[in-house]
Amino acid sequence: MADLAQLREAIINGNAKAAAAVVNTAIAEGTQPMALIHDYMIPAMDEVGRRFECEEYFVPELLLSARAMKAALEPLRPLLASSGIQPAGKVLIGTVKGDLHDIGKNLVSSLLEGGGFEVIDLGSDVSPGKFIEAAQSTGADIIALSALLTVTMPSMKYTIEALKEAGLRERVKVIIGGAPVTQQYADQIGADGYSENATLAVALARRLMSGTRQATA
Amino acid sequence: MRFKLISCEVLYREMCESIARSPHQVDVEFLSKGLHDLGGKAMGKALQEKVDAVSPDTHDAVLMGYALCGNGLHGIEARALPIVIPRAHDCIALLMGSRERYAEFFEANPGTYFRSTGWLERGKSLHQLPVGGTAGGASLDDLIERYGEENGRYLFEEFTRYQQHYRHLTYIESGLEPDGRFEEEARREASKRGWEYGKIPGNSRLFHQLVNGDWPEKDFLVVPPGARIAASYDDNIIRVEPPVEGRGA
Repeated sequence: MADLAQLREAIINGNAKAAAAVVNTAIAEGTQPMALIHDYMIPAMDEVGRRFECEEYFVPELLLSARAMKAALEPLRPLLASSGIQPAGKVLIGTVKGDLHDIGKNLVSSLLEGGGFEVIDLGSDVSPGKFIEAAQSTGADIIALSALLTVTMPSMKYTIEALKEAGLRERVKVIIGGAPVTQQYADQIGADGYSENATLAVALARRLMSGTRQATA
Repeated sequence: MRFKLISCEVLYREMCESIARSPHQVDVEFLSKGLHDLGGKAMGKALQEKVDAVSPDTHDAVLMGYALCGNGLHGIEARALPIVIPRAHDCIALLMGSRERYAEFFEANPGTYFRSTGWLERGKSLHQLPVGGTAGGASLDDLIERYGEENGRYLFEEFTRYQQHYRHLTYIESGLEPDGRFEEEARREASKRGWEYGKIPGNSRLFHQLVNGDWPEKDFLVVPPGARIAASYDDNIIRVEPPVEGRGA
């Protein structure tokens, strides 16, 4: 029997191998993928988020848990696809033009995947043109922009302006984040949402997908 | 006039030279470069405490040897004394003597890591970029010890991957160096990381103006008592904002 409580623990403790092993055993035993995800994996990530919020966990722990979540999701993907279960949404993500710092972006990307989103990671130093091209070819629901430097923050504004010019702005939600980024800046440049940290970014993306715009502070 | 200069230790040599030449009496307190790695909010809180400790009985203004620094200076409030701060995103612009020059260089030379005397000799054990709540700059061994072999290696790779995007290391030469040792060290670092080495002359103009009391609006923000520093998200970098009721520092 798969020890499902261990699945939760493995994700919380960032043990990718153990998480994948439990999932594989559970699949072999015929456990429904959605039951695993909803009853064990998502609650585990919620607990990780809680620990991060109250500063019991920091970025390394988040990275390890997100990685364990991805490892647990991997064997479930084909099953989810074959049963016609759609991802929570499609997110394009990248650090903006001029910004090469991708730790935060990678973390958000992992957590979004763990949260059931399909994530298309465009990498770092992504020009507005590349975001537009990818938005057109993938039909993404959300574009997530990251910047670590105040020097590169204006690239967020230019990317949103370019989306407007390309006639795509109404079709996608834009969310922004990164150490120096603020809600005030998000409001100023007309982004649909800002998240102070990676775990809240998943909640933000879910809220936007459900059509509820984030209340501006 | 008597000023209190609160400065990042990264600017140690440049500030000391400027203070020595200032017509004013400048008391200086250098703070750890490590503040940079705490993130904007924690850095702001630490700086606010230092600003608050300066008495109007002894000084005429508080000078900040900082730039916006990842929003670390955003929200700092001038209490009884005015605060003066150069308009720049970070110390690289200060070392170059102009935020316009920095912007041009940044645009023309993507993927450049900068070094100066302060960056080379101060806070070496610290990481240059914030990595959240970790001990910044943890080595591979530290991470393995804490998180185990497999997870430790994974984290190290995640935390250092951004370095693969860098291609150049540029030494900003202040002209105050005793000899070629700093440049040599920068050159060695570039070679070790496999980056192209370059050197540009620094410019101490902003440091001199700051401690000389020469604060043209174009390059400096003077925050009157009761107001605070705010990021302006435009070419002026920072602006004055009246304090918000009930808001902590």
